[in-house]
Amino acid sequence: MEEITLKTREIAYKDLSTGKVDRVIGFAKGDFIYESNPTFISDIDELDALVWDSFCVNNLSKYLINELKDVKKIGIFLKGCDSLGFNQLVQDNKVDSDNVLVYGVPCEGMVDPNKLKKDNLLKGLIDIKRSGEKILLITKQGDKELKAKEYEYDKCINCKHPNPVVYSELLGDYITRNNNVVDDFQEIKEIEAMNSEERFDYWSKQFSKCIRCYACRNICPVCSCDKCIFENYEPGISGKGKVDSEDQFFHIIRAYHVAGRCVDCGECSRVCPEGISIDKLNRKIIKDITEIYGEYDAGLNTSKSSVLVNYELEDFDPFESIKGGK
Amino acid sequence: MFLESKEEVIIEKEEFKPLIVAFCCNWCSYAGADLAGTSRQNYPANIRIIKVPCSCRVNPNFVLRAFQNGADGVVIAGCHPGDCHYSTGNYFTRRRLTIFTNLLDYIGIERERLKVDWISAAEANKFASVMNEVLEKVHKLGPNRKLRDVRWKR
Repeated sequence: MEEITLKTREIAYKDLSTGKVDRVIGFAKGDFIYESNPTFISDIDELDALVWDSFCVNNLSKYLINELKDVKKIGIFLKGCDSLGFNQLVQDNKVDSDNVLVYGVPCEGMVDPNKLKKDNLLKGLIDIKRSGEKILLITKQGDKELKAKEYEYDKCINCKHPNPVVYSELLGDYITRNNNVVDDFQEIKEIEAMNSEERFDYWSKQFSKCIRCYACRNICPVCSCDKCIFENYEPGISGKGKVDSEDQFFHIIRAYHVAGRCVDCGECSRVCPEGISIDKLNRKIIKDITEIYGEYDAGLNTSKSSVLVNYELEDFDPFESIKGGK
Repeated sequence: MFLESKEEVIIEKEEFKPLIVAFCCNWCSYAGADLAGTSRQNYPANIRIIKVPCSCRVNPNFVLRAFQNGADGVVIAGCHPGDCHYSTGNYFTRRRLTIFTNLLDYIGIERERLKVDWISAAEANKFASVMNEVLEKVHKLGPNRKLRDVRWKR
């Protein structure tokens, strides 16, 4: 980890001083050791703040939309899942990839401070080191070795893209993660197997927890509209009321708006303060798209246009009741 | 005699009359509905038709809002794929609504409540039969309680 921290500083110094980039988006330590916050650096003197550790979980790619309005060229540190979001932003014409220098960082998986907190491991924490399947906690009381899988973010456990899919320069070596996932959509199938009453109960329980903070929308790399429907309070468009129907409206429409573009990075569920499993909605749509329109991984390929902005004459038609039309 | 007739009225009031909202495309299905009317086809009166320029104009918001504000079933009708007035509109509808109907089913709304069909301007018969079929299915399911806005009153 320290190696990569040094590498990030080195490469940022090189490119900032030669004028290759005007600004660097990376991570800096926050108030606590388990906080790594996004930081925006244009000045070479501030580069010592850059770090890379096991808490750099945010997807930085969405900041590009706003930052590129200020400066021309930006260097950005992206992990595997972030790079998918970046690709999708490029595909949606939100970001011009010519103006961005991507420093890819292979990622072994990020550590969830909440899981550490649950087991009371944050006390006296000085540093955390990761090597493969093990994490080493260095605390005031002594060192402690833990199994990495137990303390990773939920979204990291079954990570499919530990290595960036797009980058100008790669920091560190390629990583292979062995996932023993038999079925990608196991959870979705479990819900599908319920009857409609049970499904509705399950989802209304989930949705009624929602406090409508819109964190899931704000973190989402593909929710990139300048004007959002959920901020349009014209009558009948988006209601402010805290009632179940408005919560359901928000979640169904949010999932539908990212349909075909969701890169399945799992950030929405991670940031949800109420623990709603939002990704299960997105993944249902991904499952349907895969089943009906063939394998399509949003964010992997920028040349192929997204499923719902495209069509084919011979598409599967579930609505045709009588074949032959007239 | 008087008492009997009063009882009848009460029973009639309690009988469930589903409310169906039908989004009909201006060029095909709306004309189909018109033809069904002029050729004296029978289709139920509890269907409220909303004219849209093209079936791909139907935003999923409309469907959700319809369910929230009193509809027991929603029908979306457009031209047959290939016959769209705007050439490609209903190809997009087909993909979008395939995903959206599956999503609603996943949330727990019965599949029978949201019907998508292709009805051309000449298919008065089909229009009437689709509407009758939807009404029958929704009648069997009973009033829709899911997604309903609690602030809404009939």
